[in-house]
Amino acid sequence: MNTPELAVAACHALDLAWTAAATAERAEHWQRLHGDAELATWLAPLQPTHLYFGSEFCEHLLPSARALREALSQAKSAGLRLVLLTPVASPEVLTQLDVLLPTLPAGSEVVVNDWGVAHELASRFGDLRPVAGRVLCRMTKDPRIDAGWAGRCGHGLAAPTMHALFSRLGIRRLEIDVPLFADEEVFADLPLPAAVHLPYVYVAKGRMCRAGSLSVTGTERFAVGRRCQKECLRFSALASRPGRADVAASVQLGNTLFSRHSAAMASSLRQAVDSKRVARLVVPGAPL
Amino acid sequence: MRIVAPVSRVAEIEPLAQAGASEFYCGLVPPDWLGRFHAINANRRPSGNLTRYEDLARAIDIAHAHEATVSLVLNAQHYSAAQIGAAEDIAGRFAALGGDALIVSDLGLLHALALRFPALRMHVSSVATCRNAGAARLCRELGAQRLILPRDVTLAEAASIAAEVPDIEIEAFVLNDGCIFEEGACHTIHLPGQLGGPICLDRFEYRYRRRDGGAVSPRLAARLQQNDAEYERWLWYRFSCGFSTTPEGLPYGPCGLCAVPVLRRGRVAAIKIAGREAPTARKLASVRMVRSVLERVRAGEDDAAVRAFAVGLRPSESHCATGYMCYYPEVLRVEGR
Repeated sequence: MNTPELAVAACHALDLAWTAAATAERAEHWQRLHGDAELATWLAPLQPTHLYFGSEFCEHLLPSARALREALSQAKSAGLRLVLLTPVASPEVLTQLDVLLPTLPAGSEVVVNDWGVAHELASRFGDLRPVAGRVLCRMTKDPRIDAGWAGRCGHGLAAPTMHALFSRLGIRRLEIDVPLFADEEVFADLPLPAAVHLPYVYVAKGRMCRAGSLSVTGTERFAVGRRCQKECLRFSALASRPGRADVAASVQLGNTLFSRHSAAMASSLRQAVDSKRVARLVVPGAPL
Repeated sequence: MRIVAPVSRVAEIEPLAQAGASEFYCGLVPPDWLGRFHAINANRRPSGNLTRYEDLARAIDIAHAHEATVSLVLNAQHYSAAQIGAAEDIAGRFAALGGDALIVSDLGLLHALALRFPALRMHVSSVATCRNAGAARLCRELGAQRLILPRDVTLAEAASIAAEVPDIEIEAFVLNDGCIFEEGACHTIHLPGQLGGPICLDRFEYRYRRRDGGAVSPRLAARLQQNDAEYERWLWYRFSCGFSTTPEGLPYGPCGLCAVPVLRRGRVAAIKIAGREAPTARKLASVRMVRSVLERVRAGEDDAAVRAFAVGLRPSESHCATGYMCYYPEVLRVEGR
């Protein structure tokens, strides 16, 4: 594994012109998005290779067929390969994917966060490449715990039973977060090439959405499956625990709680990249 | 339609069976698991588990004497490679004791267990977060006989999955113990209370910000504040109205009793009472409530009559009217038409 690929993630159209810009301009871009000069300097030499489009976490952010076609065109113009992000799926999501998946060029990767979506891909869309997403690649990532809990923060991805399931479904890549208490061997035991997300880990996702209930009234406010006005595209919330010494900042974006990498996690990730244990980095293309 | 009840003590089985439960589920964390892994995560719950195979054997015997079944949960969020072998050992001991079904969340483990223990039924845990027909088909192919839907489904979704994949039984939640995040997509620990407890009950403060860097307008800030206040109210309901009961011990909190007729018409095979860690009295009251509703449904009472009965059980008219206590609040919408 050589220099990792770099993916930019988005759930709506982005200006991608900066991806082909000079290193200094890319550094400015990353600094503007994520407010971290060290991170920006580290990412800038890497020219983006992929556009991750869609949502890992919300059924309402799955793109329309038109939006997907436009994103495909935009990615092609920018020299990026499009990867479709898909969420935990209600029956309606499977119906929508019936329309979206045939739109993708053969060989396209689809990040699946639902076993049903993985099964549909394996059984009906054999020319697409399923990738196990972060929801399926479970790992305890509670931002409130200290190192005393490190023993509880493993994953089950190295188990032969999980590997057999991945093989059965044609999954040959996976997506993962940086463990909270990563050491120098982080990612060494993964059975498949891994894309690692930064600079946030996903902690928990609901189907119910607090922000998405802003415009809902009555008995079904905070109920699942209700249409929202995509409030998460406009605002998020810094979530903190007064009086607690949590080392990482948390952000609630829509139905999902994220936690920013600590300095130690960022350092572990860079070590893993240097050791060529990371196939791809995935960075949000907009500020959380 | 079968009533599935939680147990954490052998002595609970007989009274719960007499009250109307026809299936039981329990966890087991044997001493050798603790010794090997120094962790209590043999299943999703850190407490409310049996600790001895002798107790598991007695639980099975008592349940069978009442023509009921016992399912053992092996539904941790994930198992390490070493834990997979230990989980298979637990399953083997359970099979040898005459147990009936395993409740498994790791689909890779489920397939291995189905191949190794064909006499045991395989139930997919709600923690697997399988909530569409494609997932149900995969579960069936891997050897599962039943899919326990996660909490976060609608009645229409449950019925559509049951209709599209008729060769797998569907089980749905009917009473107690809500989650805020999807259980299988929540990668956190239920911490001890002094460290914050479950993350969804922890006292996070929110500071809203616009993602484009602009200022949050006073109008939006006010709406968000109102939304947060309403969310706190919803949260109180979601956690059993402050974990309260009626003076008679009937539990408040997430409830799908009014939806039982729709679930039954939707070919849902079993309805689940949550709460392994709960006191026996709460479990007993829960089973009695579900049974009394189910008897009326079986007797052919119409949906409105069943709902009136269910709401009057505690009674809980004002709580029920909010919809916040409902697993399936769309029942209120349907009846409001």
